[in-house]
Amino acid sequence: MDLSRVHKELRECNKDVEVSGIHIALKSDSLTHLVGTIPGPLGTPYEGGTFKIDIILTDGYPFEPPKMKFVTKVWHPNISSQSGAICLDILKDQWSPALTLKTALLSIQALLSAPEPGDPQDAVVAQQYLKEYPTFVSTARYWTEAFAKESSLGVAEKVQRLVEMGFPEDLVRSALEAAGGDENLALEKLCTA
Amino acid sequence: MHSDSIATNSSNIIPMASSNAKDFAKKKRVNRSAKLKQCKLDARREQWLSKVNKCSSEKEDSNGVRVLGPLSKAGNVQGRAMEKLEIRPRGEEENHGLHIHHYSDSESPSNSPMSHNGSILGGNDSGTTFTGSSRSSVSSSRSSSSSRSGGSCSGSMSEEDEEGDDECLDDWETVADALAATEEKHKPDDHSLDTDTASESKDVAHGDSHPDDATGAAPDDDLKAKPENGISLDRSTVKCRAWRPDDVFRPQSLPNLSKQYSFPMNPERYFGCGGSVWGCKNVRPAPTSCPICYEDLDYTDSSFIPCSCGFKLCLFCHKRILEEDGRCPGCRQQYKNESGKVETLLDGNSLAFRLARSCSMVTRS
Repeated sequence: MDLSRVHKELRECNKDVEVSGIHIALKSDSLTHLVGTIPGPLGTPYEGGTFKIDIILTDGYPFEPPKMKFVTKVWHPNISSQSGAICLDILKDQWSPALTLKTALLSIQALLSAPEPGDPQDAVVAQQYLKEYPTFVSTARYWTEAFAKESSLGVAEKVQRLVEMGFPEDLVRSALEAAGGDENLALEKLCTA
Repeated sequence: MHSDSIATNSSNIIPMASSNAKDFAKKKRVNRSAKLKQCKLDARREQWLSKVNKCSSEKEDSNGVRVLGPLSKAGNVQGRAMEKLEIRPRGEEENHGLHIHHYSDSESPSNSPMSHNGSILGGNDSGTTFTGSSRSSVSSSRSSSSSRSGGSCSGSMSEEDEEGDDECLDDWETVADALAATEEKHKPDDHSLDTDTASESKDVAHGDSHPDDATGAAPDDDLKAKPENGISLDRSTVKCRAWRPDDVFRPQSLPNLSKQYSFPMNPERYFGCGGSVWGCKNVRPAPTSCPICYEDLDYTDSSFIPCSCGFKLCLFCHKRILEEDGRCPGCRQQYKNESGKVETLLDGNSLAFRLARSCSMVTRS
């Protein structure tokens, strides 16, 4: 892998965070595992959210695309609501070594504002998008509120704590969702359920 | 007299031309080794070699043809080179005799101190002062060219001087004239040595390449003396000035001429007004970097346009891409197999044609 290129990319990208809002940080000591952050585009259900994207660089980078997936949960036809996998051509066959991590993240940001339900990653979301658009919008907005807001950044820890109490993770998540991220309310719901 | 000098010139140019193409390859490689990582270097060398292999036959042809073309007298290119090596000093002496007026005509302001010095010494009629003067010219040339591999070049020059003195010891007037000519001749010689061997100075490791440098550069002097005679005075000064400060960058300026040649949209810049043509304007191409690996593009890279969309990248990345899906990163279209090679070939030829061009500008008489 071209480490010097990755170095330069990180430097370049983080130089104008104020303008682009896109930030890339190291996940570990190595340059192969990074975390990108993109702001939700304005005028979309994702507005106001900050979305984290896990970036893994393979040895072939930049001749092979970086592996990217959402860490933050997103309700979007082209992003798996379960795994965060992204369906975007430039991350697959349309990757070009002339693209960079920043341009790839920008493309993902663009994908957020322009879903492609015809080529879905998450079929459920895509169906909802096509058939019940208002519901889709409100769900997406809710997910943004719940998972992509600063206040919800502790969700992972809350889930962790509740899971440690013995509740199954999917129940914990849905309870937290329903409780709007309030841990105690979610706990009550879980106990009464 | 003219035809004589041209005959000598034509034989002089040949070794220069043929050695230049090879030296250039060598230069390029040595140059890069300073910059590039070893892996990168290997890849480049591979590409170079394959490139040379592919167009070597054409290159030879073009060498021969172009030398024959403008000057219309040339024998076996490679053969004469060796011959030239042996007869060189005498030939040069003859040249001096023949060219005295030319050189004083073409004497440029920057040359004047030298020639002045020479004529004064000529008046002195003293053998020791001659060697002294040749020394001084040598030492001044040495000081004036900080970046070249001084030892070898100036050494060979002083030898030439002394030989010239020995041959003319019986006739002081001839010696004086010849010396004046020699001084004037050595000044342009210095420049050509500077410019041509500056980059070769990185070859210092090659001990045996030095004789080649000396003989290779001296014919170049003839080559350049011709344009100076023919075209204008300030032309020569401008040219010298243009190259001097950039001795180190000579390898880059070299290709620039051919670059202009390979882009026919601005031929007037090539043939046009003197000095700038010689690289003043375009000595340093704006250093851009490969959009793939972010390394700086060198000349070979920046003149390498493998795709019709015009997307540039370095040879290393290009090779890497060809090994995989072979699509241009700029337009995502499949690289057409030949386009890159044709471009490279063209490039190589234009390099070889560089001298031919500078000769043909001069072809008069």
